[in-house]
Amino acid sequence: MTPAISLTGLSRRYGDQLAIDDVTLQIDGPSITGLIGRNGAGKTTLLRIIAAQEFATAGTVRVLGSSPVENEAILPNVALVREDQAFPQFRVRHALEAASLFYPHWSAELAEELVASFELPPNRWVERLSRGMRSALGAVIGLAARAEVTLFDEPYAGLDAVARRVFYDRLLADYAEHPRTVLVSTHLIDEVSALLERVVILDRGRIVLDAGADEARSAFTRVSGAVEAVEEFVAGRAVLERRRIASQESAVVAGGLHDGDRPWARELRLTLEPLSLQQVMVQASARAAQQSKEREQA
Amino acid sequence: MSTTIKVARYHLIFPILLVAAPWALLAFTFAVNLIVTVIQGGPNPTKALAAIFAVMVFAGGLTMTRSLPFALTLGATRRSYYLGTVGLVIALAAFYGLAIAGLQALERATGGWGVSMYYFQPHYFLTGAWYLTWLSSFVGLVLLFVYGTWFGLLYQRWDTIGLFVFVFGQVILALTGVFIISGDHAWHSVGHFFTTLTAAGLTGALAALLCAGGFALIRGVTV
Repeated sequence: MTPAISLTGLSRRYGDQLAIDDVTLQIDGPSITGLIGRNGAGKTTLLRIIAAQEFATAGTVRVLGSSPVENEAILPNVALVREDQAFPQFRVRHALEAASLFYPHWSAELAEELVASFELPPNRWVERLSRGMRSALGAVIGLAARAEVTLFDEPYAGLDAVARRVFYDRLLADYAEHPRTVLVSTHLIDEVSALLERVVILDRGRIVLDAGADEARSAFTRVSGAVEAVEEFVAGRAVLERRRIASQESAVVAGGLHDGDRPWARELRLTLEPLSLQQVMVQASARAAQQSKEREQA
Repeated sequence: MSTTIKVARYHLIFPILLVAAPWALLAFTFAVNLIVTVIQGGPNPTKALAAIFAVMVFAGGLTMTRSLPFALTLGATRRSYYLGTVGLVIALAAFYGLAIAGLQALERATGGWGVSMYYFQPHYFLTGAWYLTWLSSFVGLVLLFVYGTWFGLLYQRWDTIGLFVFVFGQVILALTGVFIISGDHAWHSVGHFFTTLTAAGLTGALAALLCAGGFALIRGVTV
């Protein structure tokens, strides 16, 4: 089966800054993947390269089996509406009409429903829309395009809680009816975590974690309890964070737990908790920074 | 429908740049000149028709800055965007040239709109037969549009620095040319060159240079 997205050794350099650093990633078929990372991690650049809006400095990018660069057969099947999308002098309805021209699977019916759900005024100039409404317009285009490869770049920037709920519900409902490859970049992780089947964490242009969402959550474990018991439990494991308050300690350990770990933790009266995806991102980024420092020192 | 045609249609969804702006400005400058001529009396060979040509430079720039990013977002390739945009302008300019030639004929027939105002036949340009007026306007509009795309594309690729280098480069090139020709007392040869060169040859070479340059520039644009 041809992978929907296949990146090999992908890099993008801007002067002396390496925005994307040797990224290799394959997304096979219909799935919802979260591309998460801090601001400036390279998420938008990576999405732009996949959508051929930007060029890679090195490496290869394949979308639906071919290079997307100047590829008229591939690009209409790729939708990327960015958070900072620039529009011509258009009203909302003009932007939707333009999208309907280019996307072969465009659903005018879905677009109309979404415009109503997001309460978007069709006759308002796009440049007069609030940030949230612009994001909503991007979400409408991204969803109604029903493109085989749908890329969302921070789709809920500026959206209020109600509109974000509309986005999640509509994305899931439409995905169930029309499965496709969805890649959502965000730094607001926990809110979308329920949607995600897979998580790719990007830090300073490098992939620092690529796993199924459940696997990602269990990649790090918080161990809490009495200081001596915690120390005994974490001995020999990679400890990323330690917090002590009086005789209590909480430590984050990397790597999954083994079969005997849970009974042992019960014996030691320790609490084991998986981290939220947001905490996983923080820890994965911290671990990557630590490893990179160690490499430099070596 | 090919992507090139889709790009042309994209520009016509809200055609303020390529249709409304040139004709609104033409109508406005025509009205102002008509009022001035009526008040001051004719004959008044105005130069205001230049406005529609100037607008094409701006339109060229704006299609490559304001309109380009969303079209690429929607899946147009850089190639199809350039061909669709320039193709549409060629079609529109053919029609605009025809309209200018028609209005010129009307102007001649009415003795300058009854007040000796010569808006569509300024004394320095478009003075020949109707088909020459059509051809010259058509070619002029297209060339100025493509020239304008250079500004937009250079801005898109290298921001303000790109524009400065382009503008200063043209000024320096022109001054260097004048300096060399004057130094060699070679104006006679230059005059000879231009008088022996056919208008079609010069225009063709210019069009090829502008289009090839614009096409090369857009291939490297990122949004």
